[in-house]
Amino acid sequence: MIEFTIDGVGVEGEEGSNVLPVALENGFEIPHLCYHDEVSPYGACRLCLVEVERGGRRRMTASCTYPVQEGIQVFTDTEKVRKARRMIIELLLARCPDRETLQELASQMGIEKPRFELREEECILCGLCERVCREVVGANAISFFSRGHKREMGPPFRDPKVCIACGACVYVCPVDCIKMEETKEERTIVRWERTLPMKKCKTCGQSFAPWFQLEYIKEKVKLPKDFLDVCPDCRG
Amino acid sequence: MEKLNVYAAKLVPKNENFGQGHRACQGCAEALAVRLAGKALGKSVITVSATGCMEVVSTPFPYTSWNVPWIHVAFENAAAVASGVESGLKALMRKGRMPQRKIFVLALAGDGGTSDIGVQAISGALERGHDFLYICTDNEAYMNTGIQRSSATPWGASTTTSPAGKVIPGQATWKKNMAAIAAAHDIPYVATACPSYPFDLMEKVKKGARVHGPAYIHVLAVCPTGWRSAPDLSIRLGRLAVETGIFPLYEVIDGKYKISIDLPKLRPVEDYFRLQGRFRHLTKDMIEKIQERVTREYEKLKMQERMTGGE
Repeated sequence: MIEFTIDGVGVEGEEGSNVLPVALENGFEIPHLCYHDEVSPYGACRLCLVEVERGGRRRMTASCTYPVQEGIQVFTDTEKVRKARRMIIELLLARCPDRETLQELASQMGIEKPRFELREEECILCGLCERVCREVVGANAISFFSRGHKREMGPPFRDPKVCIACGACVYVCPVDCIKMEETKEERTIVRWERTLPMKKCKTCGQSFAPWFQLEYIKEKVKLPKDFLDVCPDCRG
Repeated sequence: MEKLNVYAAKLVPKNENFGQGHRACQGCAEALAVRLAGKALGKSVITVSATGCMEVVSTPFPYTSWNVPWIHVAFENAAAVASGVESGLKALMRKGRMPQRKIFVLALAGDGGTSDIGVQAISGALERGHDFLYICTDNEAYMNTGIQRSSATPWGASTTTSPAGKVIPGQATWKKNMAAIAAAHDIPYVATACPSYPFDLMEKVKKGARVHGPAYIHVLAVCPTGWRSAPDLSIRLGRLAVETGIFPLYEVIDGKYKISIDLPKLRPVEDYFRLQGRFRHLTKDMIEKIQERVTREYEKLKMQERMTGGE
């Protein structure tokens, strides 16, 4: 265990872990958007900025990607940090003005309206959906493409042919910009423009998951051929 | 939300705010509901818990299962204390004695603490418009004191104070519709949930906590001990309660009804009764009587959804 302090309070973190999860576990509040326990940290949203003092030198860094070290002092709520976070939220809100998560964070930090030119984007490019798709689902259906201000998140070549429509990205998106629609016949992930036909349960006749997804799971977990013919309710 | 169950389940927070080692009975769905709610709310929450099963099993002195601040109050005043906590936080933040930040206030009570003993406290708190979330974990009787009937016990259920016998067929009154009472206060968010639908429950808790103003969530918690059912059937019983239309899952957002799990065709209520000992004395006529009422109530709910345009 590595000992260091956060806001003057002594904490312990496991070797190899980063500052943000240790801080959250110990009840310190650090706002964050692109961080998730289950996937590797990426440091995209920069909202989890903290000041770290090490060897007499103090600098600002994203806590989600900063590894814990013996004897460092972390400050989560200094004037400098607050100012930087306010600026980041203001810029994010100017990019995506109608996202509720951002509006809420902004109002907590005392921003009513960003002073920058408003744009009509929905995605904040935090890349969390891509990491979840790669590391948790393993489908690798989406990734960043283009560069600079044209950067976008989506399926490669805008062709979502490996997306299994599992909805993990829908669940994890911090600003709720990925939506899923479902009817009896098909399921659509609206943002990736992926529509897949649904499979019906052999016993009860209710549709329960897309064909393609079930094939993917069967292959991945090496299940017997007819294992996923009935829905989880009827399998019980 | 409920259809995301394959991979989204891996993305639910691993930290437990309602920890292991509590003394709930085997198959207790109430403990499950509280655990899921804890996951949805995260760390910055103050829990106010009325007397009831959840208080008894989670905090036998000197232990506790709670990893968040937790206050135990009397049977009747969870909502009143929660309003006090909320006002206190507001005052402290206004005076600068503590940093401005969002702290959720959660009031937790059972069906007795909500619909019998605590009903004036909750009605007052909802009417005053405090910014808090009230979760009622409804196991349909006073289970921890020995299965006495409450106003949330459904018609026909046999309990120790409404025993089924030659004279009465168990509970002689219909279940009090507490969610409708909360909705009648015109608060911003009312919902019903069931731990058999975990994502739906977590989503509703999150929504309820974020709303400005009071929110009320009525959770059906299957109780194997009191319902005389097998502990391994708790999840299935929850699903059956929803699928038969006995406990429909819906939300009321700013007065607009929206059914969360819409069922084109309801299952017969008998499927639900068959698995529970407390209903085993029911005769065909009684089941028909219940079926008629369940169908009527479900139709009423659908009509409310159509009329308020929450679809």
